[in-house]
Amino acid sequence: MLPSDHAAVVERVVEHPLPYFSLLLDAPPGWAELAAGQFVMVRAGDGLAPFLRRAFSVHDASSSPAGARIELLIKAVGPGTRALAGARPGDRLSVLGPLGHGFSLPAEGPVALVAGGIGSAPLYLLGRRLVERGVRFDLFYGGRGRADLPCLERFAALARRSGGRLVATTEDGSAGERGLVTGPFERSLAAGEFRFFYACGPMGLLARLAALSAAHGVAGEAALETAMGCGFGACLGCAVPRPDGRFALCCQDGPVFPFSEVAW
Amino acid sequence: MNAPAVDLAVALGPLRLANPILTASGTFGYGLEFAHLADLAALGGIVSKGLSVAPIRGNPPPRVCETRGGMLNSIGLQNIGIERFLAEVLPGLERFPPRVIVNLFGVSVDEYVRLAERVDAVSGVAALELNVSCPNVHSGGLEFGQDPEVLCALVRAVRAATGKPIVVKLSPNVTRPAEIGEAAKVGGADILSAINTLLGMAIDPVTRRPRLATVKGGLSGPAIKPVALRVVFDVARQVGLPVIGIGGIETVDDVLEFLLAGASAVQVGTALFRDPTTASRLVGELAARLAADGVGSVRELVGAVRLPA
Ligand SMILES: Cc1cc2nc3c(=O)[nH]c(=O)nc-3n(C[C@H](O)[C@H](O)[C@H](O)COP(=O)(O)OP(=O)(O)OC[C@H]3O[C@@H](n4cnc5c(N)ncnc54)[C@H](O)[C@@H]3O)c2cc1C
Ligand SMILES: Cc1cc2nc3c(=O)[nH]c(=O)nc-3n(C[C@H](O)[C@H](O)[C@H](O)COP(=O)(O)O)c2cc1C
Ligand code: FES
Repeated sequence: MLPSDHAAVVERVVEHPLPYFSLLLDAPPGWAELAAGQFVMVRAGDGLAPFLRRAFSVHDASSSPAGARIELLIKAVGPGTRALAGARPGDRLSVLGPLGHGFSLPAEGPVALVAGGIGSAPLYLLGRRLVERGVRFDLFYGGRGRADLPCLERFAALARRSGGRLVATTEDGSAGERGLVTGPFERSLAAGEFRFFYACGPMGLLARLAALSAAHGVAGEAALETAMGCGFGACLGCAVPRPDGRFALCCQDGPVFPFSEVAW
Repeated sequence: MNAPAVDLAVALGPLRLANPILTASGTFGYGLEFAHLADLAALGGIVSKGLSVAPIRGNPPPRVCETRGGMLNSIGLQNIGIERFLAEVLPGLERFPPRVIVNLFGVSVDEYVRLAERVDAVSGVAALELNVSCPNVHSGGLEFGQDPEVLCALVRAVRAATGKPIVVKLSPNVTRPAEIGEAAKVGGADILSAINTLLGMAIDPVTRRPRLATVKGGLSGPAIKPVALRVVFDVARQVGLPVIGIGGIETVDDVLEFLLAGASAVQVGTALFRDPTTASRLVGELAARLAADGVGSVRELVGAVRLPA
């Protein structure tokens, strides 16, 4: 689907609680079929700050009587995301998308999903796509504390629907296993439980997962976040270093990359 | 609604454009990225991403960061090279009415000359814009655009290599841009464009690290508009070549300001990132505005600023 700039109506704003929140937006028909991992560029205001659009993964997409509805799961971290947290039902937001390439879908499972904090955003739609295809997955969901695991119950229910389970970790021990998400994930990976895995989260986590992918010979894909000027290939600002020394564009070639195609 | 009876056509020396709104180099991809987001056909012209003899892979990330009212970039002149542009991109752009201007840069006079020779016979290329002011690469155009004698020699060499209109793009990072513009004129330039980005910097106070991997980068967007306007004003009055105004243009008022300051046309850059339709929309808005103000031709506004007596 070619991207377009859509004046989306805010249907609902859900606080998870803050700083995490969801925006439910109306979308053109067809967006219900978006690939998990695709993203949109949203204008967070008309003034001079925030100036550029902000990138958000599509957290969920479904059809609605009016066409389609998308959900963005956002962490308020700065002026742009804080402005969006103040959106009210009925407001209109300029939403440019769909952009980028999403995750590839496996022929068979089981697979793993690994989320670090707000990196869980694109993995919900991925989980739904896997359920639709009858692919079982385990979801490894890590954060600093319980508050950094937004939508935890929803993710757990989705993993169960696929026949898999959710494994939560927190650094402060306030939910699930104490420690980093890579701990339990590596144990399962080493036990040969997965044919493939998907991840999204901070660069440090993704680099660690790339090393695990290579060490255990299990391929996977990661959704990357880079600074972005435009989101649609016009500024060349979103460089991702490749193993051959050249640069890919996160917004066009990604944001989903096989672990083996990024120089971590 | 009927199209207002306003004449938007402009002639910049030998370069004729259906209207004065172009897109700026490096902010419009190679052009085709926008084909489904904006009405390319409405534009007066499209300026390509900066092109070099061989492909360039560019700077490490992060390459862009937002600043108040603008952004910094240090793309590092990443581009696919002139040959791939001519073979793969230009044929697609030629399907649209706007004139295509190729933005060229090199690390030596010889490279500029080779680029100019290469495009001289290409019918889809309406003009050459020489980037002699990119602040991003140590070995890049910095010296050409900062030294009048060096610049004059460069333009003279390119002039000998092509019969197509030559636009020289001026840097604001010099004390007197008009002096550089004068040197370009002596070398044989037909048109001047101004400005390229302003050298700038941003630091994350939490991590204490520069926000760009290259530490410094080029500032663009609304934040630079007053500087750009001043340079256009000086250059237009002192050099006497047609000028294309660039820098922070986002609204029809911005366009009018640049025309009044002496620009015959404008390029829209960073504004395209937040609204890809900005440039094509401005064509219609400019026509409507002139019609409402009873101005018959856009050319009446060029340099028509009312200065204090
Ligand atoms: C393809 C893609 C998908 C994304 N999906 C989501 C999502 O689903 N939910 C979500 O909450 N966020 C997502 N992000 C990150 C989101 O775009 C940034 O958090 C947002 O731009 C911050 O804007 P701001 O004005 O609030 O904060 P800023 O002031 O711009 O930044 C605040 C802090 O966040 C850091 N930051 C800014 N932009 C990014 C970025 N792109 N990646 C990582 N750190 C950044 C800054 O360095 C700074 O420390 C995504 C980014 C990309 C590139
Ligand atoms: C991301 C980016 C890339 C650019 N690349 C080039 C380039 O390749 N060649 C060039 O001459 N100018 C380049 N420029 C400068 C613009 O063409 C323009 O002169 C400048 O951004 C000021 O205009 P603006 O404020 O409307 O963006 C670039 C600017 C940006 C923001
Ligand atoms: S964000 Fe502009 S090219 Fe990718």
